[in-house]
Amino acid sequence: MKEREFVTLVVDDEVDMCWALERILQGEGFETHSAYNAEDALNMLNKKAPQLVFLDVKLPDMDGIELARLIKTSNPAMPVILISGYYYNDDPTIQKGLEEGLSIGFISKPFKINEIRHYIHRLFPKKSLSK
Amino acid sequence: MSDIEKFFEQIISHIPISILVFDSSLKVVYVNENFLEKTRLKRGQVMGKQAEDIFPPVLLKYSQIPDLLRWTFREGHAVPGREMIYRSPGIPYRVYYYSLNPLKGEKGIEHVMLLMEDITEQTRLREEVRKTERHLASVVESANDIVVSMDPYGIITTWNTAGEKITELSAQELIGRHITSLCATGEDENLRQALISTTEAGKVKNIEVKIKTKRGKEIPVAWNFSSMRDGGSKLVGLAAIGRDLTETKQLQGQLIQSAKLASLGVLAGGIAHELRNPLGITSAAAQLFLERPDDPEFLKECAQRIYTGIQRASEIIEGLLKFARHSPGQHEPTDINKILEETLTLIGKQLTTQQITVHRDLYPSLPLIKADGKLLNQVFLNIIINASNAMPKGGHLWIKTELEQRHMTAALKIVVKDNGVGIPKEHIDKIFDPFFSTMPVGKGTGLGLSICYGIVKEHGGEIKVESTEGEGSTFTILLPVTKRI
Repeated sequence: MKEREFVTLVVDDEVDMCWALERILQGEGFETHSAYNAEDALNMLNKKAPQLVFLDVKLPDMDGIELARLIKTSNPAMPVILISGYYYNDDPTIQKGLEEGLSIGFISKPFKINEIRHYIHRLFPKKSLSK
Repeated sequence: MSDIEKFFEQIISHIPISILVFDSSLKVVYVNENFLEKTRLKRGQVMGKQAEDIFPPVLLKYSQIPDLLRWTFREGHAVPGREMIYRSPGIPYRVYYYSLNPLKGEKGIEHVMLLMEDITEQTRLREEVRKTERHLASVVESANDIVVSMDPYGIITTWNTAGEKITELSAQELIGRHITSLCATGEDENLRQALISTTEAGKVKNIEVKIKTKRGKEIPVAWNFSSMRDGGSKLVGLAAIGRDLTETKQLQGQLIQSAKLASLGVLAGGIAHELRNPLGITSAAAQLFLERPDDPEFLKECAQRIYTGIQRASEIIEGLLKFARHSPGQHEPTDINKILEETLTLIGKQLTTQQITVHRDLYPSLPLIKADGKLLNQVFLNIIINASNAMPKGGHLWIKTELEQRHMTAALKIVVKDNGVGIPKEHIDKIFDPFFSTMPVGKGTGLGLSICYGIVKEHGGEIKVESTEGEGSTFTILLPVTKRI
């Protein structure tokens, strides 16, 4: 496996949540980075050029949905997975985000690790095969 | 008749008193004009006649004028003033004040003079005064409040039925006692101060002083004092009306409880969300732990996260329970900054989620005040929840405490300011009214701020609001600092 091939960015204001997601993703062979607010996230997007973003819907400085929209404006192809302890899947805010194509999936906290893996394997089938 | 006789005759006939003079055979030998005018009798119907022939039979029966005449002739003493009601067909009803006076001559008592003064008008006025008095007395007696009058020093002079019922003490037991002797332990100083202020300022409104009943029960009473002064503005006494607050307090307690439940609902929603973060971390860490049981370093890392997550979840629940469980009680020395911190711990996460930035500016050495910290927590929580509702798209919340020195007293000033939508001018006077709400039906009870108002008032404080539509609102709470804690 080549370095820099698969990079993910985790955006969540909960440090320990970032830790958990990073560990899960590292277990899948990804290089991981974390941002604790929207501003950091936008910086990281430029610097680290991730291929996948896990995004908490409630951030201290910006609404996660808004951030997803910003990300999509500069990187229309970037897959974003929304994650939240505030909303559930059936919430109109989330449904709208999915319909608008701002996000390819939604994970509600607390989650099963396999839900995360499910999205990874769907997005990166080769990656899962190599494991 | 000589001139002087004529002159006297003139005086006597014009005097506004009826005069009849009887001789010893009980016949009238003199009658003046006034009597004839009043009774509408002709001189001939009176002169030389006996009392029985002149006065109506009913009047004779109860006044016994003939007997009294005889008695006066026999004993030689005057019969002092009595009242007579003169009713006769064709003439208006009159009330007379009459007396019989012996007139001594050479041969002892030769004549007796009957003087009759018309007091109809005075009687009517007196009756009116009595009626008013009776009416006032019945108002005082049928009042549900304690109505008490005192001398200028506070010695009880009257005590009404409601007062007897409330204190279980009869007016008889209370009259002559000092009003402060009714106070519950430690409360008499407040009442004494009220008496002093009343004598100085004339009025004291709405001070709450607990009294003790005969059986030792303490009852909260709201007192209104006023001074009574005579025409020369000399202090003649003190009056007080005392309202039993037992029921009001119970109702207030229920209102506080229901408002608390309402904020609890808001909090519970927020807290459910809040719990999902530590739960998410704990759950993820536990799953990772299970997947890699052979890496002791990693296990330690996971266990640490699980433990921290559980602790955080417990704290969130504990905060909610602490808020839910508290029943209003005693006022204790309280650090207002600490209470504000507790409130912010409860609601802080919710504010962050709503993109509300909290700016704290807490005065570092705030003196402790006597307060019910949990109730004040409810007040702050309510105001902060309102502020957050006013900022649906996020914003800034400034929380500031300071010590305000006034000439004699000091007060803690707590300012909660937001840059939300503000309160429309037409609403600003109503926001402390119970059940006033601009929220849709089912969303707000409209009790929150009225309860805040009640709680702050109970602490002897004030709550004020300033707001500009589109710019935000500022709530200011002033709580008095008492010297003795």
